[in-house]
Formats: sequence, C-alpha cells, structure tokens
Amino acid sequence: MDRRAAARRAAFYAALVMSWQAASSAGALPPGLLPSPLDVAADLARGAADSSLLAGVATTLWRLLAGLAIAIGAGVALGVAMARVPAVNETAGSLVLGLQSIPSIAWVPVALIWFGVGDAGIVFVTAVGAVFAVTTSIYSSVRNIPPHYLEAARNMGARGGHLVTLVLLPAAFPHMISGFKQGWAFAWRGVVGAEMLFSFLGLGFLLNVGRHTVDISQVVAVLVVIMAMGMAVDAALFRRLEDRVRERWGLR
Amino acid sequence: MAKLEARGISKSFRGGGGYTLRALGGIDLAVESGEFVCLVGPSGCGKSTFLRIVAGLDAPDAGEVVFDGRAVRGTGPERIMVFQEGALFPWLSVGDNVSFGLRVNGVPAAERAEISARYLEMMQLGQFARYHPHQLSTGMRQRVAIARALAMDPDVLLMDEPFAALDTQTRYTLIGEMQEIWQRTKKTILFVTHNVAESAALASRVVVFGNRPSRVRTEFRIDSPRPRHAEDGSLASIQREILAALRPEVRRQEGLDG
Repeated sequence: MDRRAAARRAAFYAALVMSWQAASSAGALPPGLLPSPLDVAADLARGAADSSLLAGVATTLWRLLAGLAIAIGAGVALGVAMARVPAVNETAGSLVLGLQSIPSIAWVPVALIWFGVGDAGIVFVTAVGAVFAVTTSIYSSVRNIPPHYLEAARNMGARGGHLVTLVLLPAAFPHMISGFKQGWAFAWRGVVGAEMLFSFLGLGFLLNVGRHTVDISQVVAVLVVIMAMGMAVDAALFRRLEDRVRERWGLR
Repeated sequence: MAKLEARGISKSFRGGGGYTLRALGGIDLAVESGEFVCLVGPSGCGKSTFLRIVAGLDAPDAGEVVFDGRAVRGTGPERIMVFQEGALFPWLSVGDNVSFGLRVNGVPAAERAEISARYLEMMQLGQFARYHPHQLSTGMRQRVAIARALAMDPDVLLMDEPFAALDTQTRYTLIGEMQEIWQRTKKTILFVTHNVAESAALASRVVVFGNRPSRVRTEFRIDSPRPRHAEDGSLASIQREILAALRPEVRRQEGLDG
C-alpha cells in the first residue's frame, strides 16, 4: 500500500470516529443503544487496566490458533487428496460440500456432548467450522496448478511425497494463501460463537457479559477488538506472506 | 539396434459432441543413438503429441515406444523433456531447478551442487545459480531448462518447440549452442519445431509429418558441416526441399480449415 492510500485510509477512519463522536455529543444517538467512541475507548482502557480484555484476547487467540492449525493441517491433506485422487474426490468430495454448509454454531451441541464445557469443545467448533472452507480452497488451488510443472516433475522422477512437498504444495501455494485467509475468517466465527454459548473466558464470553449487564460500550469495545485483530493479522501476516510469495514466484 | 523406436503410434482425442479428432495415424520412427532428429509438420499435425507419447506423458491408443530394445510405458529418466515454455519451477532458484531431478532421485547435496554448477556453466549461466527464474530473460530461462534436462544425463532429450517463444537473435544463438551441446554430450535428440530453417540448421535428419491423422511423410538427411547457422546459404536448397515437402500438407490443411 502506498503512502497516499495509507493517508486516505487514516483520514477515513478519523472522519468516521469524529463524526460518530460529534453525533453522540449532539445527543443524536441514544446512549444506551449506541455508545460514543469515547465511551468505547474508556471501556477499552478499563479492560486493558484490569487485564480482563487482554486475558480475553489471549484465551480466544490460542483457541483460535489451535483450531485453525488443525483446520489447515487437515484441510491441506484432504484438499490435496481430493485434487489428486479421483476416488477421494468422488466420495469424500461431496461430503465435504455438504459439511461445509453446516454453520459452525450448529456444531456446538456436538462439541458439548463430545467434549463437555471447556477448551477442547471450543477448539473443536473452531476447527470444524474452518476445515471445510480450507479444504475446498486447497482443492481448487491444487487443481489450478499449471500442468507443465507436474509433468516436468513426473518426467524427472518425482513421485509420492516428493511430488507433494517439492512441487504440488509450492506450486499451489500462492493460491493456498487465500484458503488460509478463509480459514482464519471461518475460525473467528467458530471461536466467538462457541465462546458466547459455553465459555467463561475469551472475547465471546466478554460479549456475553456485556449483553447480560446491558453494557453496550463493552459489547462495541469487544467488537472493535475483534475487528482490529482481523485487520492486524491481515496486514502483518497474510498481506506480507502474499507479497513475499508473489515476489519470489515472479507473479505480478 | 535403434536407440529409440516408435512403432505404429496412433492417438485420437475426443472433442465436444462425440466428435473424435484423429491426431496420429500410425507413426513409425527409428532413431539411432547420437542422432539429432527434428520433427516438422503443419501446425496441429500432432508432432507435439507424438513427443509427449515418446516421453511417456501421454499414452498412445495403439503402438509402442521402444527404448534400447524394450517397450517403455510412462516417463523415465532416460527420456527427458524440455517444454516450450521451459516449465521451470518459479519457487526454486536457478541452481535448485537444475538439480531438482537429482534431488528426487536421491543424489547427495554436494554432488548435486557440483553437477548443477557444471551444466549451468555449460549453458553460460554460471553466475545466475542464485537467481530466480523470473529474474532471467526468456532465452536464459530456456537455457536453464536445457541445463535441467542435461543434469539428468538422459540418453534421449525430447525438445518441444523450445525456441518458439524466443526472438530471432536469441534463437540463432541457441541454435549454435544446441549444436555444440549435442556434439559435446553425444545425446540423442528429438526436437519438434515448426521452423524449417531451425530444423535444417540443427538436425542430422529432418522428419516431415503429414496432416491429421498424421504419419511420417518423408525425411531428409543433412550432412552439412557444423556449426551451421539458420541463415547459411548452403542450407538454402535443403530448406526449399523441406518446404516443398510440407507445402501440399499445409495447403491441404488450409483447405480443410477454411
């Protein structure tokens, strides 16, 4: 992103927050329903000071990353198998499509019955909510590998594990990144949803507390934190990874 | 005994609406060890398909490919293909591209590096081992692809219009280099091209394919001294003969297509 775009974006957010604050100060927004930015900031500061917010972030983050790691590991394995083995695609492929249409929240009863109330259940909901989106994305990125790469590799004697690790995965990698991004987005849905339903820790739980205490500032503060984390990871991780891969692969 | 033999290779492709395209109608070709054979023919005549079948990348509907007296199926390290667009791996450095085949065949790292350096040196790319393919020009990339194939030390090099995407100047340079490589390494080369001048400069034998379903129409032996240049006056008459052999084929094809 160039400097001008960054400046434009900063100006956009500043204008958004200032007009929001102005509307609140003018009494145009009902305070019990929509807090002012200053209320939200105060709530964020309080949460940071008593470390409830940081603890929430840390808890949610590790559950999220654990679930996402499982989803990516299983999704890559399943997606590659589907793309390369027709029998797997014909059988498991349709099942994956079906499973993908189940919202992650709908797995909560399953998680509770299998794992009870606890971290394992939340990690399960997070992983299962993300794994099928990752799978389909990996599947299509492997299917879109230019055939010459695979033919050249096969011609030189690459088989099995070598073919997968040295050719298939690197060749598909630029497209796989968008699969990881999808996984990240779906994992967030899963983890926050599950935390709201059955957790006493994490950002989802803090949202629930805000709801029960009718504290709209806390609710909005947590939403802002979730949004900020999503944007930060996109900029710091995915965008950077994408740029590096594109540069290395010579894609413009 | 021929180094490589194609016996009655035929191949059809199923098009849309149940329409079948008969590409190869029984190709017989025997290539002796150390020959440089160029395959020319009207565009779409199936010469690349034939090369892919010899490489083992496609299976023929009928016929067989015989290497050193035994029928072969699938790909093998004795028959290595150089693709039109090089098909270098963009995620690997030039050096790692050249040693890729050695790596998957279990050659130790030190030996790989030595072999890779030797062939890059032969292609005058010694100082580019750490570059990535996209940092090189098209001609340099194609030289890397040739080095990668040579590093496998195959008996037969299969080259599918490897110079088609190059500008004339670069192509002429590579035509010269390719003759040197052939003379130095004594490889058997099967080289597909649609460029008659290129075939006359490179080949010890030019094989002309006919239209679909194509067969070997005729062939020419070329014994002119090397190194030859694509625009050598001494090659003019053989070029005319090849063109004359191609002309009825091309005309028939144009009549068909039009």
